[in-house]
Amino acid sequence: MTDDRLCRHCLLTIGPRAMRRTVNGENCAFCCYGCCIAFQVRSGKSEEWEAAWLLIRLGVGGFLSMNIMLFSLLLYTGAFTGVDARLLPWVHLLLWIFATPALVILGGPFLRETWLDGVQGRLRSSALIVVGVGAAYIYSAFAVIERGTHVYFDTATMVLMLFTVGRYLEAAGRARAARDLEPLLAAESACATVVNGGAETRRAVRDIKARMLVRVRPGERIPIDGVVTEGESHTDEAVITGESRQVAKSVGSPVIAGSINLDGPLLIRSSGAGTATRWAQICRSVRDALVRRSPTQRVADRVVGASVPLVLALGGLTIFYWAQWLPLERALLFGLAVLVVACPCAVGLAAPLATSLGIGRLARCGCLVRDPGVLEALARTRLLAFDKTGTLTSGRAHVVGIESDGAGTGEVLARAAGLERHSEHGLAHAVAVAAAARGLEPVPTRNVRTVPGRGICGSAEGQPVAAGSGAFMRDLGWLLPPALAEQGRTREASGHSAVYVGWGGRVHAVLSLDDTPLPEARATIEALRYRGLRVMLLTGDLPAAAQRVAAVVGIETGDIQAGLAPEAKSVALDRHQQAYNVVAMVGDGLNDGPALARADVGIAVGSATDLARETAALVLPAGGLWMLPWAVDVARAVRMTILSNLMWAFGYNCIALTLAMLGWLQPVLAAAIMAGSSIIVVLNSLRLERLPDPVPSAAPDQSAAVESTPTMHTSGLQIIADQAIP
Amino acid sequence: MAYYLMLFAAGFAGSFHCIGMCGGFACALGRDPHGHASTVLRHLLYNTGRLTTYCFLGGLAGTLGQVICTPQGMTVSLVGGSLDSAQRILAIVAGLLMIGMALQFFGLLQGFHRLASGFGSSTLAIPLRSLLTARGRAAPLAFGVFNGFLPCPLVYAFVAQAASAAGALPGFLTMASFGLGTFPAMLMMGGVGLALPSAWRQRGVWLAGSCILLLGLITIGRGILPIAAHIAHG
Repeated sequence: MTDDRLCRHCLLTIGPRAMRRTVNGENCAFCCYGCCIAFQVRSGKSEEWEAAWLLIRLGVGGFLSMNIMLFSLLLYTGAFTGVDARLLPWVHLLLWIFATPALVILGGPFLRETWLDGVQGRLRSSALIVVGVGAAYIYSAFAVIERGTHVYFDTATMVLMLFTVGRYLEAAGRARAARDLEPLLAAESACATVVNGGAETRRAVRDIKARMLVRVRPGERIPIDGVVTEGESHTDEAVITGESRQVAKSVGSPVIAGSINLDGPLLIRSSGAGTATRWAQICRSVRDALVRRSPTQRVADRVVGASVPLVLALGGLTIFYWAQWLPLERALLFGLAVLVVACPCAVGLAAPLATSLGIGRLARCGCLVRDPGVLEALARTRLLAFDKTGTLTSGRAHVVGIESDGAGTGEVLARAAGLERHSEHGLAHAVAVAAAARGLEPVPTRNVRTVPGRGICGSAEGQPVAAGSGAFMRDLGWLLPPALAEQGRTREASGHSAVYVGWGGRVHAVLSLDDTPLPEARATIEALRYRGLRVMLLTGDLPAAAQRVAAVVGIETGDIQAGLAPEAKSVALDRHQQAYNVVAMVGDGLNDGPALARADVGIAVGSATDLARETAALVLPAGGLWMLPWAVDVARAVRMTILSNLMWAFGYNCIALTLAMLGWLQPVLAAAIMAGSSIIVVLNSLRLERLPDPVPSAAPDQSAAVESTPTMHTSGLQIIADQAIP
Repeated sequence: MAYYLMLFAAGFAGSFHCIGMCGGFACALGRDPHGHASTVLRHLLYNTGRLTTYCFLGGLAGTLGQVICTPQGMTVSLVGGSLDSAQRILAIVAGLLMIGMALQFFGLLQGFHRLASGFGSSTLAIPLRSLLTARGRAAPLAFGVFNGFLPCPLVYAFVAQAASAAGALPGFLTMASFGLGTFPAMLMMGGVGLALPSAWRQRGVWLAGSCILLLGLITIGRGILPIAAHIAHG
């Protein structure tokens, strides 16, 4: 299942002038002649006739044009003057004989392109080459017949040769841009070895259903999500998680599609359809992103479209002007130089190449770009708004404070943990984790009973134990000391969750739980500020909770807007958009969909939602908040590259065009300059490959979170509330 | 004429070096199933392609040399001879390059070797193999054309020589003589498929190195001697 919208070689959009060819028995579409050659040279098998045929044509074309050039060099340097002058017409005739097949061989693809465009009513750069070269050839042919003194077969063939070689080199460079994207795009064309009874068959991944057995040999990519049923190995899940490290797998381990099986054969039971894996989703998403055009690209395309007729007109004017002062042949030569030098290939290449390199670079670290325009928008962003829960914070509760009326912290936690380990609730889990972190042994508890939404009770060491909300304690009729009750209310007012813990008919302590900021959040925000971005916090939470998190991660009080409903976030973004022009919103993609969609750049961190329904344009991997400053760097580098590419391409074209119109540029030199300009754009874009990898600004070490967050100490008591313990 | 004969001889001696890489290609090109004449034609076409590339490079280098040597209005006529100073400098540079290449044949100057053959020999050579087995008359010709562009210190040395000749025609003739000089060995390799013992090959490479070294010295001499003569006269 190959997509016809992307070039098989360089993965850029094909556009209307696709070249189709059969390589190795597959139908392949290419965006240009250069990619067609480069792909066949690289991937064509030696038994493939067509790959060889292409090279043969190029070789014979080269043979002919080199002979032409050689004789022409001798002519120019005056080797046929004097006695040999009578040979001159014969030499011209010989050149004509050489030039005709060379023109057919080398010019054929350009002529075909022009013809196909012409049929669709368009003019493109190949038309310039065809017109220019055709004119030079026809003029020279007449010159031979009329025994003129000058022929320009060498110019015609060398221009074609240089453009062909230039396009080949350009395409060879572009393939490197696709290198990072290939593992992602492989999902749709991947095959799997399905084991059915004793037989193994190769099947396309899209035909894989749940519960099928798939064998994956070492070194292969695992094509499906599933569970290992046989074998042991290590896998590298970098394509999906962005983290390149070895993960040990044995019977029963889950594996994800797209990871590489490193060292042992595995038999995997598929857990879903082959097209439902995250790998396949990513593949579709990346493909869609590559097919779309960024605003800059649209502008560039429009310029390219408009420039071809303009250049044709300029070429005509040049000939017309110079023909009044110089012999027609010189004027024609100037006109040819104008046509050749103004080929706007580099302009068309400037944006898509840099963008696809940027997308590939981000994808290699697990960051997905869903729209090519987003890179340029992110580069221009001056305001980044963050959602709080799940974005700047872990989204999971942690015990941040224990206040008691005299009971030891250890005893409180041990008793609470003894109860809570019987519960599945998020807060209960947090209590068990806190006890484990301090090395406490949970007190064995029996007769455990959960009251959904309120709390949990049981008996331990011969007396009743309970943990839960204040209301739960009142229901039980236990004594709640007013100091603890007050303490609990204060904590709840500041956005904490409070869990009261009691035993023997009396409440002894209140645990305050909070969603803790991610350890890397502060460093990330600092890094973003360092890049000149204003950072804001937009949250639906209570102002006090927002303040607390903001203080920890380093967001100023003035930049906090709390208590916002999802729609209100969008409105707030709208307001800032007027001042900042381009704003970005960072969320977890769960409850801030409208805001992410509203922002110019929606960034989702560790999105758990289906990619297809994802509203964010940039998706960072789970735990990938720290990559955000790096993503901004990449986006800025991409934008700078696009701008420098465009400036280079336009500037180069304008200067060269002027020189050509003034008649200071030989057509062959003009063709070399033009081929050079595309290659320079490719090389300039390839500099993006050298961007440094992201460096974690703070180790995302979650286990230390309980200890590392500032705990507020108060002496007192407890209560819990809306988010009660079951 | 004697000069071109010398180049031809140098090419012939140098072709023992060619047997290493290009000889492999010639062998792979193999025999044509249509008979002996076809085989000969096949190898002639291959060598013609190679020769064309060499000649083209020679002509180009010669023209470049000529452009360097005759800057408009800048000809310094310190010495009233056939060689102006630019051409002499060019000769010295070319001579030094040739000596560098020659030393590399003797196993010296390994860095130079990387510089000379590091670029693209594998990237170019591998896809070209598809041409070796392809059908048709044109395939060997095309292969020869590409083969001529494969990085080879021997070719570089002679291109430098061609540039110092400072003229399209002498440059072309230089490379043509050299290319023709490599014909016998390459045709022999292809036609007979004869594998020389490696001791012989080593001797051939040394011979090639000596020839190039000698040529390089002569070329430098062409550059330096007029100055020496001039100083002596002065």
